[in-house]
Amino acid sequence: MAAVTLENWKERILDPKIECMSSDEMAALQSKRLADVVERVYNNVDFYHKKMKDLGVEPGDIRGIEDINKLPFTTKEDLRDNYPFGLLAIPKKDVVRVQGTSGTTGKLTLASYSQKDVDVWGECVARCLSMAGLTDEDIIHVCYGYGLFTGGMGLDYGAEALGATAIPMSAGNTKRQMMCMEDFGSTAFACTPSYALHLAESLQEAGAVDRLKLKAGIHGAEPWTEEMRKKIESILHINCFDIYGLCEITGPGVAQDCIHHKGLHINVDYFYPEVLNPVTHEACADGETGELVFTTLAKEAMPLLRYRTKDLTSIDHSTCDCGRTTPRISKFTGRTDDMKVIRGVNVFPTQVETALLSMGGAVAPHYLMIVDREDNLDVLTVMVEVDESMFSDEIRKLDALKAKIGAVLKQALGVSARVKLVEPKTIQRSEGKAVRVIDKRNLQ
Amino acid sequence: MIKQLSVFVENRPGSLMNVTSALTEAHINIRAIASFDTPEFGILRLVVDKPAEAKTYLTSRGFVVRIHDVIGVELKDEKGNLNRMLSILAEGEININYIYSFVIREGRAPVMVFNTDDYEKAAKVLSAADVKIVEEADL
Repeated sequence: MAAVTLENWKERILDPKIECMSSDEMAALQSKRLADVVERVYNNVDFYHKKMKDLGVEPGDIRGIEDINKLPFTTKEDLRDNYPFGLLAIPKKDVVRVQGTSGTTGKLTLASYSQKDVDVWGECVARCLSMAGLTDEDIIHVCYGYGLFTGGMGLDYGAEALGATAIPMSAGNTKRQMMCMEDFGSTAFACTPSYALHLAESLQEAGAVDRLKLKAGIHGAEPWTEEMRKKIESILHINCFDIYGLCEITGPGVAQDCIHHKGLHINVDYFYPEVLNPVTHEACADGETGELVFTTLAKEAMPLLRYRTKDLTSIDHSTCDCGRTTPRISKFTGRTDDMKVIRGVNVFPTQVETALLSMGGAVAPHYLMIVDREDNLDVLTVMVEVDESMFSDEIRKLDALKAKIGAVLKQALGVSARVKLVEPKTIQRSEGKAVRVIDKRNLQ
Repeated sequence: MIKQLSVFVENRPGSLMNVTSALTEAHINIRAIASFDTPEFGILRLVVDKPAEAKTYLTSRGFVVRIHDVIGVELKDEKGNLNRMLSILAEGEININYIYSFVIREGRAPVMVFNTDDYEKAAKVLSAADVKIVEEADL
């Protein structure tokens, strides 16, 4: 199947009433739902009751969505402290399912769902599948893992809610995936972007691409670049979409990008987003990068108020070319965990990346920030791998490049940085998330 | 005009050897070599028998390589010959960015390699003074 280009793309909006709602109507709906959820957690969840009391806030103070900043934050640590069922707002017998994520350290993060929560989850994923051009006639090959991880079940519920056919392959066994994809005539597949690329390359090597009926790929659960999307699309001749979610909030289906790929549309009738300055907690303007914070507006089993995702993004409230009015978040560029305070200034690796990209390189450069302390002063060194586009035969040009990188970084970060040009591939690559910062100050 | 490879190398033990051992693996013969350093990094410049192949192989091994044109001139091994050639360039107001010499030429006259911003003018003044400019094929 050939990828559908924008000219002959047919936009399918599953719930135009919600997805194309005016901002006033949406604010009214969100206000009503926020007041309701605040009432429920205040009365049923000890953790929130205490937190609100400590802040001197009562449900009556929350008259509309604009009052959201009066509410307390929730962190991943709060979830761990109340593991496994401490944040339930409904009787435990009404919980129909749990999902979780394995943290890199210690306990699981567990989320509970009522039947209505599961239905809403399916509805949200169905909106995303529809955004990817899929209908009840499609066959969706789900090679996300099924289990506590939300990927498999989430896409499954979504396919079911859309009326499409779900093929619950789960992850792994690439040969069998390829065989079933061909035999069943799957028209879409869902998995992590890295597995999608692996599968695409395997299909290409086997010469099976032309025998497939694929037209869309739904990928998320890990960060990926535009280049990676284009690569998968060009191998398989399909359109790929970036689906986002986290199990604390519901799982995949919190947001996804449309064919225009100008950010991920959030299902804001269910999940209210705030983008906040991670230090001052003040709201960021559209386009400004900050931490993404979600409030679940309709969740029954485990509603969360102002959950700090630690994901860094920016938001855009303008109406999209696809016709949806739901605000869009930009692709994720980093996490607040990576933030460093250098000589009193907050520095994110993403700022370094953006600054280096602004110098005209076509691909994201490989770099490493090293923070150290010399004579009681913080020193930031940025190692940058030299690639062919920046390499020159003349030392003076390389020196000039070094000085220019230094100037661009100083401008972008607000602190000066020593620049060290290094040979290609000397900065260690990692399988998953790239290591961008080494803080040697902690070791002293 | 001859082709020269420029390779980015960090100033640390083994960095030059990494380049030469890669070239050995690729069966590339080095005709001339020069390195210029700064405290942190340097540029290793080489004239080899198969420049395009050398670049492809070095790139595949993770090096950053560029190919540049440089001028090679043949000088008889006699007193004052280098000085004479440099005088011609100086009179022609040609600026030389760097200069180095060939390693061995099996009984033939030595070759000096230099880089300048104005090749055309350099070639013109050298030819006018009857200095032999070496081409790839002569090496």
